Amino acid sequence: MKLRLLLHEHANAYRNMAIDEALLNSGIPTLRLYKWKPSAISIGYFQSMEGEVNMDACKKYGVDVVRRITGGGAVYHDSIGEITYSVVLPVTMFPDILESYKAIGRCLIAGLNMLGLKAGYAGINDVVVNGRKISGSAQTRRHGIILQHGTILLKANVKKMFSLLKVTEKKIMDKEIKRVEERVTSIEKEIGNVKEDEIREAIIKGFQIGLNTELEEGKLNENEIEDAMQLVKKYESREWNFKR
Amino acid sequence: MKAENGILKGELKIKGGKLIKCTLELHEGRIKNIKITGDFFMYPEHAIEKLEKALQNARFQEEEISKKIKEALKGVELIGVAVDDFVDVIMNAG
Repeated sequence: MKLRLLLHEHANAYRNMAIDEALLNSGIPTLRLYKWKPSAISIGYFQSMEGEVNMDACKKYGVDVVRRITGGGAVYHDSIGEITYSVVLPVTMFPDILESYKAIGRCLIAGLNMLGLKAGYAGINDVVVNGRKISGSAQTRRHGIILQHGTILLKANVKKMFSLLKVTEKKIMDKEIKRVEERVTSIEKEIGNVKEDEIREAIIKGFQIGLNTELEEGKLNENEIEDAMQLVKKYESREWNFKR
Repeated sequence: MKAENGILKGELKIKGGKLIKCTLELHEGRIKNIKITGDFFMYPEHAIEKLEKALQNARFQEEEISKKIKEALKGVELIGVAVDDFVDVIMNAG
């Protein structure tokens, strides 16, 4: 199996999620790397938008909000502080869900280690360096196809993240920020400034090694573009984003 | 003695770090409406809507809630959360 490689630049939250869903629908084995502009919050399929997100703060900072088709938690996608990946594979490759999280995690770990980090796997869907989270992922499956997407933190901005998410009590906020700052890390924090191209290259190699496959740079096909254009409307809609 | 009417909210932090929340409306001891939210994983995802629907009109009583949840989640794969966690978050709502 060959993996199509899509190297995408910045797009907004609605377009990014629409493309990922279009990739899941088309089912062509793919690795996509992308970024978010403007910065955005994505929430998991089962989360409540109003329960998780400080909408006033998002408006104030021009941060978009979007509901994912995948479960998991709320994520702040900073326009400069993150590279996001999505990968589409046939379920036959990894019938077991936990096994597939681990296998894709191994690709990320291989990539990060190539940059000189000492990454490892933690929990269900996290990659950590020295016990601190550097990447989180979420997966869904439809008609025999796996879509997993996740973050690779280049630069963490925990304070910004907290101002955009709802925190139960103001009093515990400072303590909570400190606690999360201690639990989260980034490529910059671990090894200083690395060129983004170098990071992309390492992630791509990580998938090549981890999945034992070749990658070939490609483009979205016409059907996928058409599908994504339709799906953007869903991701922009209040009906979808505030449905829970 | 639990209330028969009103809005109840529940929150449960599960071992492993995931969180389930629920908001339910009770009317004469039965669930009129329920919303279950959280950062867990469920396959297929739309099973959550099926689960919420199955709990509508259920008596607010552990045995019945547990039975309805088990039925609705038959064949559904849960990750980071267990069937009993849903029972717990609902029955401990206040």
